[in-house]
Amino acid sequence: MITDQTVFLFTGVVLAFVGMASISSSRNLIKTVMAFQVVLLGANLALFASGLDAPLQSGLGTRLTTDSFVFLSILVGAAVEAVGLAVVVTLYRKYGTLDPSEIRKLRH
Amino acid sequence: MTSEPLVSAVISAAIIATAVVALFSTRVSVSLIFLFYSSMLLGIAFTVYGDALVGLMQIVTFSGAVSVLFLTVILMTGESRLRIGAGPTTIAAATGGVVVVAVVLTRLVAAGGGAPPSSYPDVSMQTFAFLWEYRPWDLLVLVTVFAAAMVTVANLFSREPS
Repeated sequence: MITDQTVFLFTGVVLAFVGMASISSSRNLIKTVMAFQVVLLGANLALFASGLDAPLQSGLGTRLTTDSFVFLSILVGAAVEAVGLAVVVTLYRKYGTLDPSEIRKLRH
Repeated sequence: MTSEPLVSAVISAAIIATAVVALFSTRVSVSLIFLFYSSMLLGIAFTVYGDALVGLMQIVTFSGAVSVLFLTVILMTGESRLRIGAGPTTIAAATGGVVVVAVVLTRLVAAGGGAPPSSYPDVSMQTFAFLWEYRPWDLLVLVTVFAAAMVTVANLFSREPS
Protein backbone atom coordinates (compact mmCIF):
# COMPACT_ATOMS: atom_id res chain seq x y z
CA MET A 1 0.00 0.00 0.00
CA ILE A 2 1.31 3.43 -0.93
CA THR A 3 1.35 5.83 2.00
CA ASP A 4 2.50 9.41 2.47
CA GLN A 5 5.64 8.06 4.11
CA THR A 6 6.48 5.96 1.04
CA VAL A 7 5.89 8.86 -1.32
CA PHE A 8 8.03 11.26 0.69
CA LEU A 9 10.83 8.73 1.19
CA PHE A 10 10.90 8.08 -2.55
CA THR A 11 10.95 11.82 -3.23
CA GLY A 12 13.81 12.30 -0.79
CA VAL A 13 15.86 9.59 -2.48
CA VAL A 14 15.14 11.04 -5.93
CA LEU A 15 16.17 14.52 -4.79
CA ALA A 16 19.38 13.19 -3.27
CA PHE A 17 20.33 11.32 -6.45
CA VAL A 18 19.44 14.25 -8.72
CA GLY A 19 21.53 16.56 -6.54
CA MET A 20 24.51 14.22 -6.52
CA ALA A 21 24.29 13.82 -10.29
CA SER A 22 24.30 17.59 -10.67
CA ILE A 23 27.23 17.97 -8.26
CA SER A 24 29.29 15.52 -10.29
CA SER A 25 28.45 17.10 -13.65
CA SER A 26 28.28 20.81 -12.80
CA ARG A 27 30.69 23.25 -14.45
CA ASN A 28 29.78 26.12 -12.16
CA LEU A 29 30.55 26.31 -8.45
CA ILE A 30 27.33 28.20 -7.66
CA LYS A 31 25.34 25.41 -9.30
CA THR A 32 27.33 22.95 -7.21
CA VAL A 33 26.26 24.67 -4.00
CA MET A 34 22.67 24.72 -5.30
CA ALA A 35 22.93 20.98 -5.96
CA PHE A 36 24.18 20.54 -2.40
CA GLN A 37 21.07 22.34 -1.23
CA VAL A 38 18.87 19.96 -3.22
CA VAL A 39 20.63 16.97 -1.62
CA LEU A 40 20.00 18.59 1.75
CA LEU A 41 16.31 19.10 0.92
CA GLY A 42 16.06 15.43 -0.01
CA ALA A 43 17.75 14.35 3.21
CA ASN A 44 15.47 16.58 5.29
CA LEU A 45 12.38 15.26 3.52
CA ALA A 46 13.46 11.63 4.02
CA LEU A 47 14.20 12.31 7.68
CA PHE A 48 10.83 13.98 8.13
CA ALA A 49 9.08 11.11 6.34
CA SER A 50 10.81 8.49 8.48
CA GLY A 51 9.03 9.84 11.55
CA LEU A 52 5.69 10.53 9.91
CA ASP A 53 3.96 7.42 11.23
CA ALA A 54 5.98 7.15 14.44
CA PRO A 55 4.40 7.62 17.87
CA LEU A 56 4.24 11.13 19.28
CA GLN A 57 5.69 10.77 22.77
CA SER A 58 9.19 12.02 23.43
CA GLY A 59 12.15 9.66 23.31
CA LEU A 60 14.37 8.12 20.68
CA GLY A 61 12.73 6.76 17.54
CA THR A 62 9.62 8.90 17.83
CA ARG A 63 8.28 11.63 15.63
CA LEU A 64 9.52 14.39 17.89
CA THR A 65 13.06 13.06 17.57
CA THR A 66 12.98 13.06 13.79
CA ASP A 67 11.37 16.49 13.65
CA SER A 68 14.03 17.83 16.01
CA PHE A 69 16.73 16.35 13.77
CA VAL A 70 15.13 18.01 10.74
CA PHE A 71 15.12 21.31 12.65
CA LEU A 72 18.80 20.90 13.49
CA SER A 73 19.65 19.76 9.96
CA ILE A 74 18.03 22.85 8.44
CA LEU A 75 20.09 25.20 10.60
CA VAL A 76 23.36 23.32 10.16
CA GLY A 77 22.75 23.06 6.40
CA ALA A 78 22.24 26.81 6.15
CA ALA A 79 25.53 27.43 7.97
CA VAL A 80 27.36 24.99 5.68
CA GLU A 81 25.90 26.67 2.60
CA ALA A 82 27.02 30.09 3.87
CA VAL A 83 30.56 28.77 4.17
CA GLY A 84 30.32 27.17 0.72
CA LEU A 85 29.19 30.42 -0.87
CA ALA A 86 31.99 32.31 0.89
CA VAL A 87 34.47 29.82 -0.59
CA VAL A 88 32.91 30.38 -4.02
CA VAL A 89 33.33 34.16 -3.73
CA THR A 90 36.92 33.78 -2.54
CA LEU A 91 37.78 31.45 -5.43
CA TYR A 92 36.18 33.85 -7.90
CA ARG A 93 38.20 36.76 -6.54
CA LYS A 94 41.41 34.76 -6.72
CA TYR A 95 41.02 33.01 -10.08
CA GLY A 96 38.36 35.05 -11.91
CA THR A 97 36.32 32.02 -12.87
CA LEU A 98 33.82 29.62 -11.33
CA ASP A 99 34.64 26.65 -13.55
CA PRO A 100 36.30 23.96 -11.38
CA SER A 101 38.42 22.62 -14.23
CA GLU A 102 39.66 26.12 -15.08
CA ILE A 103 40.52 26.72 -11.44
CA ARG A 104 42.40 23.42 -11.39
CA LYS A 105 44.40 24.47 -14.47
CA LEU A 106 45.16 27.92 -13.05
CA ARG A 107 46.48 26.40 -9.84
CA HIS A 108 49.27 24.62 -11.73
CA MET B 1 -5.28 5.83 -3.18
CA THR B 2 -6.94 8.18 -0.73
CA SER B 3 -6.81 11.94 -0.97
CA GLU B 4 -3.89 12.22 1.47
CA PRO B 5 -1.36 10.23 -0.60
CA LEU B 6 -2.63 12.18 -3.60
CA VAL B 7 -1.71 15.45 -1.87
CA SER B 8 1.73 14.13 -0.97
CA ALA B 9 2.20 12.85 -4.53
CA VAL B 10 1.30 16.25 -6.01
CA ILE B 11 3.65 18.06 -3.64
CA SER B 12 6.42 15.52 -4.30
CA ALA B 13 6.02 15.81 -8.07
CA ALA B 14 6.19 19.61 -7.82
CA ILE B 15 9.29 19.47 -5.59
CA ILE B 16 11.08 17.08 -7.96
CA ALA B 17 10.09 19.11 -11.03
CA THR B 18 11.27 22.42 -9.59
CA ALA B 19 14.51 20.85 -8.29
CA VAL B 20 15.30 19.27 -11.66
CA VAL B 21 14.65 22.53 -13.51
CA ALA B 22 16.77 24.39 -10.93
CA LEU B 23 19.72 22.05 -11.32
CA PHE B 24 19.72 21.53 -15.07
CA SER B 25 18.83 25.05 -16.21
CA THR B 26 21.56 26.80 -18.17
CA ARG B 27 21.06 30.14 -16.43
CA VAL B 28 21.94 30.57 -12.79
CA SER B 29 19.21 33.16 -12.25
CA VAL B 30 16.54 30.70 -13.41
CA SER B 31 18.08 28.07 -11.15
CA LEU B 32 17.80 30.41 -8.20
CA ILE B 33 14.11 31.09 -8.89
CA PHE B 34 13.27 27.40 -9.08
CA LEU B 35 15.37 26.56 -6.04
CA PHE B 36 13.34 29.14 -4.15
CA TYR B 37 10.12 27.43 -5.24
CA SER B 38 11.51 24.02 -4.34
CA SER B 39 12.36 25.13 -0.80
CA MET B 40 8.99 26.82 -0.48
CA LEU B 41 7.16 23.65 -1.54
CA LEU B 42 9.13 21.58 0.96
CA GLY B 43 8.16 24.03 3.71
CA ILE B 44 4.53 23.71 2.62
CA ALA B 45 4.84 19.91 2.80
CA PHE B 46 6.25 20.08 6.34
CA THR B 47 3.45 22.42 7.38
CA VAL B 48 0.64 20.41 5.80
CA TYR B 49 1.89 17.15 7.30
CA GLY B 50 1.81 18.39 10.84
CA ASP B 51 4.93 20.33 11.73
CA ALA B 52 4.42 24.03 11.14
CA LEU B 53 7.50 24.89 13.21
CA VAL B 54 9.88 22.97 10.96
CA GLY B 55 8.02 24.19 7.86
CA LEU B 56 8.33 27.79 8.97
CA MET B 57 12.02 27.31 9.73
CA GLN B 58 12.53 25.72 6.31
CA ILE B 59 10.85 28.63 4.52
CA VAL B 60 12.59 31.32 6.57
CA THR B 61 16.03 29.72 6.28
CA PHE B 62 16.18 28.37 2.74
CA SER B 63 13.58 30.39 0.83
CA GLY B 64 14.60 33.53 2.70
CA ALA B 65 18.14 33.76 3.98
CA VAL B 66 19.91 31.28 1.72
CA SER B 67 18.16 32.59 -1.40
CA VAL B 68 19.33 36.10 -0.55
CA LEU B 69 22.85 34.75 -0.03
CA PHE B 70 22.73 33.06 -3.44
CA LEU B 71 21.42 36.25 -5.05
CA THR B 72 24.24 38.28 -3.46
CA VAL B 73 26.89 35.84 -4.68
CA ILE B 74 25.39 35.72 -8.17
CA LEU B 75 25.38 39.50 -8.39
CA MET B 76 28.92 39.74 -6.97
CA THR B 77 30.33 37.28 -9.45
CA GLY B 78 28.29 38.54 -12.39
CA GLU B 79 27.39 34.97 -13.32
CA SER B 80 23.72 35.57 -13.81
CA ARG B 81 23.64 38.09 -16.65
CA LEU B 82 20.29 39.00 -15.15
CA ARG B 83 17.80 40.66 -17.45
CA ILE B 84 14.94 41.15 -15.05
CA GLY B 85 11.91 42.40 -16.94
CA ALA B 86 13.46 41.67 -20.33
CA GLY B 87 14.47 38.03 -20.43
CA PRO B 88 11.74 35.70 -21.75
CA THR B 89 13.34 32.74 -19.99
CA THR B 90 13.25 34.49 -16.64
CA ILE B 91 9.65 35.52 -17.12
CA ALA B 92 8.66 32.01 -18.25
CA ALA B 93 10.46 30.49 -15.27
CA ALA B 94 8.81 32.82 -12.80
CA THR B 95 5.39 32.27 -14.37
CA GLY B 96 5.80 28.51 -14.40
CA GLY B 97 6.87 28.51 -10.78
CA VAL B 98 3.91 30.59 -9.73
CA VAL B 99 1.58 28.25 -11.63
CA VAL B 100 3.10 25.20 -9.93
CA VAL B 101 2.73 26.75 -6.48
CA ALA B 102 -0.81 27.87 -7.28
CA VAL B 103 -1.84 24.40 -8.47
CA VAL B 104 -0.40 22.75 -5.37
CA LEU B 105 -2.00 25.26 -3.03
CA THR B 106 -5.34 24.92 -4.79
CA ARG B 107 -5.17 21.15 -4.50
CA LEU B 108 -4.29 21.34 -0.84
CA VAL B 109 -7.09 23.74 -0.07
CA ALA B 110 -9.51 21.52 -1.97
CA ALA B 111 -8.32 18.40 -0.15
CA GLY B 112 -8.30 19.60 3.40
CA GLY B 113 -9.78 23.04 3.59
CA GLY B 114 -6.32 24.45 4.23
CA ALA B 115 -5.94 22.49 7.44
CA PRO B 116 -3.47 19.61 7.98
CA PRO B 117 -4.86 16.12 7.23
CA SER B 118 -6.66 14.82 10.30
CA SER B 119 -4.38 11.79 10.68
CA TYR B 120 -1.38 14.09 11.07
CA PRO B 121 -1.96 16.39 14.04
CA ASP B 122 0.17 19.50 14.36
CA VAL B 123 3.16 18.57 16.53
CA SER B 124 4.83 21.98 16.50
CA MET B 125 4.33 22.63 20.19
CA GLN B 126 5.42 19.11 21.15
CA THR B 127 8.52 19.49 18.99
CA PHE B 128 9.22 22.85 20.55
CA ALA B 129 8.78 21.39 24.03
CA PHE B 130 11.05 18.47 23.13
CA LEU B 131 13.71 20.87 21.85
CA TRP B 132 13.26 23.01 24.95
CA GLU B 133 13.79 19.93 27.13
CA TYR B 134 17.20 19.38 25.53
CA ARG B 135 17.98 23.06 24.92
CA PRO B 136 21.50 23.09 26.48
CA TRP B 137 22.73 20.43 24.05
CA ASP B 138 20.83 21.91 21.13
CA LEU B 139 22.16 25.38 21.87
CA LEU B 140 25.68 24.04 22.32
CA VAL B 141 25.59 22.35 18.92
CA LEU B 142 24.04 25.35 17.18
CA VAL B 143 26.37 27.89 18.77
CA THR B 144 29.39 25.75 17.84
CA VAL B 145 28.26 25.34 14.25
CA PHE B 146 27.35 29.00 13.78
CA ALA B 147 30.55 30.19 15.43
CA ALA B 148 32.60 27.92 13.18
CA ALA B 149 30.71 29.17 10.13
CA MET B 150 31.16 32.82 11.13
CA VAL B 151 34.89 32.38 11.79
CA THR B 152 35.34 30.60 8.46
CA VAL B 153 33.45 33.24 6.49
CA ALA B 154 35.29 36.08 8.25
CA ASN B 155 38.60 34.36 7.59
CA LEU B 156 37.80 33.86 3.92
CA PHE B 157 36.85 37.50 3.44
CA SER B 158 39.82 38.86 5.37
CA ARG B 159 42.69 40.43 3.45
CA GLU B 160 45.81 38.44 2.84
CA PRO B 161 48.97 40.01 4.28
CA SER B 162 51.00 41.57 1.50
